[in-house]
Amino acid sequence: MSTTALPAQIARVPGVAIALIALCIVFVLTSPGFATSPNIANVLTQSTILLLLALPMTLIIMTEGLDLSIGAVLTFASIILAITAVSTGSLALAFAAALAVGLCFGFLNGALIAVFDIPPFITTLGTLGIAQGLSLVVTDGQSVVGIPRSIETIYSGTAAGIPLPIILAALAYAVTHALLYHTRFGAYVFALGGNREALKVAGISVRGMLIRVYAFGGLMAGFAALLMTARLNSAHPTAGIGMEFDAIAAIAVGGTSFERGNGWLLGTLLGVITVGVLRNGLNLLAIPSSVQVACVGGLVIAALFIDGLRGEQ
Amino acid sequence: MTVSPLFELRGVCKDFPGVKALDNVSFEINAGEVHMLVGENGAGKSTLMKILCGAYRADEGTFFQNGQQVRIDNPADARRFGIAVIFQEFTLVPYLDIAQNIFLGREFSSRVPGLIDRRRIHAEAKRVLDLIGFHIDPRTPVHKLGVAQQQMVEIAKALSQDARILVMDEPTAALSDRETELLFAMIERLKKKGVAIIYISHRLSEVFALGDRITVLRDGRKIGSLLPAETTPDQLVTQMVGRPVDATYTRPSRPTPGEVVLEVKNLSGPSGFSDVNLTVCAGEIVGLCGLVGSGRTEVARAIFGADHVSTGEIRLDGKRISASAEDSVRRGMALIPENRKAQGLALARSIGDNIVLVGLRKLFPSGIFAPRRAIKAARAVIDKLRIATPSPRRLVATLSGGNQQKVVVGKWLNADAKFYIFDEPTRGIDVGAKAEIFRLLDGLVHNGAAILMISSEQIEIVHICDRAYVMRSGRIAGELKHHELTEANIVRLGIHQ
Repeated sequence: MSTTALPAQIARVPGVAIALIALCIVFVLTSPGFATSPNIANVLTQSTILLLLALPMTLIIMTEGLDLSIGAVLTFASIILAITAVSTGSLALAFAAALAVGLCFGFLNGALIAVFDIPPFITTLGTLGIAQGLSLVVTDGQSVVGIPRSIETIYSGTAAGIPLPIILAALAYAVTHALLYHTRFGAYVFALGGNREALKVAGISVRGMLIRVYAFGGLMAGFAALLMTARLNSAHPTAGIGMEFDAIAAIAVGGTSFERGNGWLLGTLLGVITVGVLRNGLNLLAIPSSVQVACVGGLVIAALFIDGLRGEQ
Repeated sequence: MTVSPLFELRGVCKDFPGVKALDNVSFEINAGEVHMLVGENGAGKSTLMKILCGAYRADEGTFFQNGQQVRIDNPADARRFGIAVIFQEFTLVPYLDIAQNIFLGREFSSRVPGLIDRRRIHAEAKRVLDLIGFHIDPRTPVHKLGVAQQQMVEIAKALSQDARILVMDEPTAALSDRETELLFAMIERLKKKGVAIIYISHRLSEVFALGDRITVLRDGRKIGSLLPAETTPDQLVTQMVGRPVDATYTRPSRPTPGEVVLEVKNLSGPSGFSDVNLTVCAGEIVGLCGLVGSGRTEVARAIFGADHVSTGEIRLDGKRISASAEDSVRRGMALIPENRKAQGLALARSIGDNIVLVGLRKLFPSGIFAPRRAIKAARAVIDKLRIATPSPRRLVATLSGGNQQKVVVGKWLNADAKFYIFDEPTRGIDVGAKAEIFRLLDGLVHNGAAILMISSEQIEIVHICDRAYVMRSGRIAGELKHHELTEANIVRLGIHQ
């Protein structure tokens, strides 16, 4: 490798890494608070919820699908979690309820897409509306408060000096990685997007696999609801709005293609951190969140532009 | 002593609504044999193979394996008898590696519950690949492979499932000459290992080069089983089309060429051609031939305005045209591309929709779409070209390759073009359909159109063209007038001296 010319080596670095490095340089130069260890820990901790959504979404997009409902499902799961915790006082029961809500929505998405052949975009736009509507109906538009305070330790606690959310997210990443690259399920995810005929010929149920992929997405949204609720120590009916946008953006930045089952899980991790760095840096520069959304959009286009430019060479 | 064939189908019948696809067809295959299956598009070859592999169920017929009667009700049955099909559309997953593709759905389990043993998958894949003499790292992702290599992976996949009967559907359709040689070498190796191969082909040369036996189907019936040594290509074609080969197309007399429609002067372009001069007159079919890579397609695309031109000029009806495809179409130029699936058809739409697409402005001058008039216009084209379909409302994707090509060509019947470029209009279609395409070209020039036709088959150029230009290394090597137009002259001009 040492004989390869430097430009050729640079050409092999993915666009997401270049974007991440470029952003870090910009923020180091413009805001003094950026390169401090508390802030870096903060960026990573804040990125964990997004990662929990982006991991399964990567698999879903690899099947040439989409899940727009994931942010709304997170919100609704978070509300059910809070209500259960407040009324029963049991956090374990509350967590189980949140995971069940996520799983139900994921299963519903998968069933509608696989069995009734409704396009994923339409299906999950529908379930987004349902989950969002239910959140507002159940709470009457108000926050749910009064959860036992011990829930906060999930988000703010540490183990061996490492924030708990980072450990949980690392665990989720490891599990998803093993799932995608070391199980039959993962191989079939590649096939769902790459060549469904190959699955049929191999005697594997395309419908069954699709349902599992979306169910996994719902379950992870439920899991993300734990962190979200722990972070806020309450549940808000609008907490997860737009999170699907950040998740899809992070995946696109990370180099997963929307066609032919061409996905890259590590790219998604880098994409999530890139989006997190961008938002954090803009926060430090006191730029309003409405402008931040536009910047994330710009980041997606920039990263794909870099990849596209190099793809032509 | 008679030995039972490895597998045998007897008296197979299959009806589709409106079509008798197979009528009392019998077919047998022996171990270590290459059995060629030939016939025109729609003769029933694919249907027969789909019955063999369990994708369709026969209405009537019995199956025998080594003389024992068996049933094939579904693909799993066929797999159990060792029957595997290599379809033209591969069943490979682009972003999985070769090994995982070979063992898709049959992954080895690791000692850790739930996980797969990738190391063992790679080792087993390596063993199968070595067996067929395909030396490649099984960790290579499939999307990095060429068509020929992907085909090898398909073959390895079939053999890893203990296939003893391999059905190949036009395996050389997308291969280069070199790749074809490699495939043939592999087929020889498989034969020696006792694998039986059923090989569907439209190319007579390979039918004779590879086949141990040839079975001809026509209109759903078996016409005969022949030995290659006891027949000739002409006899075979006669059996396929049911009429002598010379009678498939006789070129009618043409009107005297009219005014020059297209004039190309000193055209050079970055895609690899220079100083090209040619003319095409009204009422004339002019051939553009030469070896693959001599610049034929590039010149055609440049004339149409699809590619850049560095110097030279193109005149249509004496008026200079700017090199843009939009301008070309507006002034009555049409390019019928070679790759029909990618460039010529809306596969998800009906046959009728595809046919009327080009002539929308002419058919509906008011701008309002009248479905009845569209169907009527489509029916006229379907009848004229004998496109095999019960209704123009059927999806184009349901047609066979030859009939799809007729749709690509046929849609231009409704257009107003005065100059047409046909790039390999007969690629991948059978003798009978070719004659119908030629009839269509003749109809166009009779109505005063001018045609430039690219073809790799010299015999076609000789049969149909009034004149021809032969290209060599990006330049026009010479022009052949009608009386000079012979296969020998085309080859002589086209080959490097």
